[in-house]
Amino acid sequence: MKYFEFTNPTKLCSGKGALENLAYELEMLGASHPMVLSDGMLEKIGTLKLVTDALSDMKIGRIFTDIPRDSSIETVNRIAREYRDFECDALVALGGGSVLDTAKGVRLLISQDADDLLELMGCECIPKGNYVPFVAIPTTAGTGSEATAVAVIKNPALNIKMEYISAQLLPDTAILDPRMTATLPPRITASTGMDTLCHAIEAYSCQQKNPVSDAYATAAIELVRKNLVRAVRFGASKEARASMANASFLAGAAFSNSMVGIVHAIGHALGGVCRVPHGDAMNILLPAGMMYNRKECSDTYAELLLYLAGPEVYLKTPKQKRAQRTIAEVIRLREKLHRMTGLPVTLKEAGVDPAMFPEVAKTALNDGAAIVNPRQVTYDAVIKILEVSYGD
Amino acid sequence: MKKEILNRINALILQVLFRGFRVLYKNDGRVRKEIDSWNDGLTLKLVCGPGGAVLAMRKSERSGVARLQRAQRTAITMRFKSVEGAFRVLTGQIGVSEAYAEHLFMLEGDIYQTMSFVRCVEYAEAYLFPKVWSGRILKEVPEKKMSALKVYALILLENTR
Repeated sequence: MKYFEFTNPTKLCSGKGALENLAYELEMLGASHPMVLSDGMLEKIGTLKLVTDALSDMKIGRIFTDIPRDSSIETVNRIAREYRDFECDALVALGGGSVLDTAKGVRLLISQDADDLLELMGCECIPKGNYVPFVAIPTTAGTGSEATAVAVIKNPALNIKMEYISAQLLPDTAILDPRMTATLPPRITASTGMDTLCHAIEAYSCQQKNPVSDAYATAAIELVRKNLVRAVRFGASKEARASMANASFLAGAAFSNSMVGIVHAIGHALGGVCRVPHGDAMNILLPAGMMYNRKECSDTYAELLLYLAGPEVYLKTPKQKRAQRTIAEVIRLREKLHRMTGLPVTLKEAGVDPAMFPEVAKTALNDGAAIVNPRQVTYDAVIKILEVSYGD
Repeated sequence: MKKEILNRINALILQVLFRGFRVLYKNDGRVRKEIDSWNDGLTLKLVCGPGGAVLAMRKSERSGVARLQRAQRTAITMRFKSVEGAFRVLTGQIGVSEAYAEHLFMLEGDIYQTMSFVRCVEYAEAYLFPKVWSGRILKEVPEKKMSALKVYALILLENTR
């Protein structure tokens, strides 16, 4: 058995009414005037108000909603300045991956008494600093950011998405309330759900996998199989929404400890260079990425068939065909979601110009996710995956 | 005592690795391309555990890399958590990606530029270890552009001043 590490200290509050515990959880963390981070859309549709109402008598130090879709180092630095100016003592992040990762960056700056996130770049190199209570409330079921020690923040100067990896990024508490995702449109539900699936599949198959992350990953895949299509079709189903939120948390905890691979390396690059939304990129690239890795992962992919297609299909499929069948099941799910929501399945549909492939490939090679992919990530391999995924 | 021996071996291998970078910069276009892609004047440090051997270097236009004082602060620092962990990697018992997966080292600085440095280490390993050996620690052994024997000879002759 190889040496491995697993970290997930985040307290999970999940299910109906979870949000009502927010004030109590903050109080238990020693907070009295938190800064609330969110985005303009969540403010407009009233989701932010649910959170501020849940804070009841607690004095809010500052509400900041000007967070763009791809948060940047400048945004993080600016929010940290406001946190200090308004003498806040905790962070509440309400939103998708961008808002949650922004909050992680702010926490890092405050806890380390730093002013610029560029000073804190690295992997597992940040010591425990000043304590900043941090509660994450995801409004999509995809990034799993509420359970990860990873933050992806854009560096506009270099046009790349930078990764920060540190246990200090993990929230103290994650609140998964089905009301937070109830209004997500079907297409975004599908896209973020495929992001969850991709986290779980890559977590289960990359070099840093371990028995604990495997347990989280397989549980996530099973929840996706049972609930993703239902959440897309019946968005008001609290059970489907809560299950997908749990799947996202589980997959996040899995990949936070086992990391992700080539699909994410290329996906981050496509996001940075061509602005393809992350979930869409995962949906498009996953089958081609799996086909590339299959040479090294046929046993692990074969095992995943049980969770992705259920016991009946698993038992009926001959052992030597299970890996291929797993990939076929991903494609089948992808096509179903495409028919239901129009979610793009090719880079062409996503509006990517093939002339950008060399820049995407160069960027992907330098993404941290490439290091633990089970197969060597080469320039030629990335180009091939992009060409296959273009769909001409 | 054991730690002292490991430290000395680590220091010796770091010396070979540093000279290897300079030799390959001149003789292998892939390594030259990687190092040329680094930010001008980029400084890097490999620290082999607490109190362990250190290789500190900077990008140099003439020779690819040049030495730095070990105490100097660098833009990228790969710091092994233990002398033993560094020894396992430097002696080719495990590869860099496996060492990363086992959390044997931490990284201060830009992950994006470090990936290029990791590829340079892997090119060097392909030359410095026999193929049966490098095949165990590298996911894909890069093709050698010259014989390993010649690389070793050039490493011995390399003037690092």
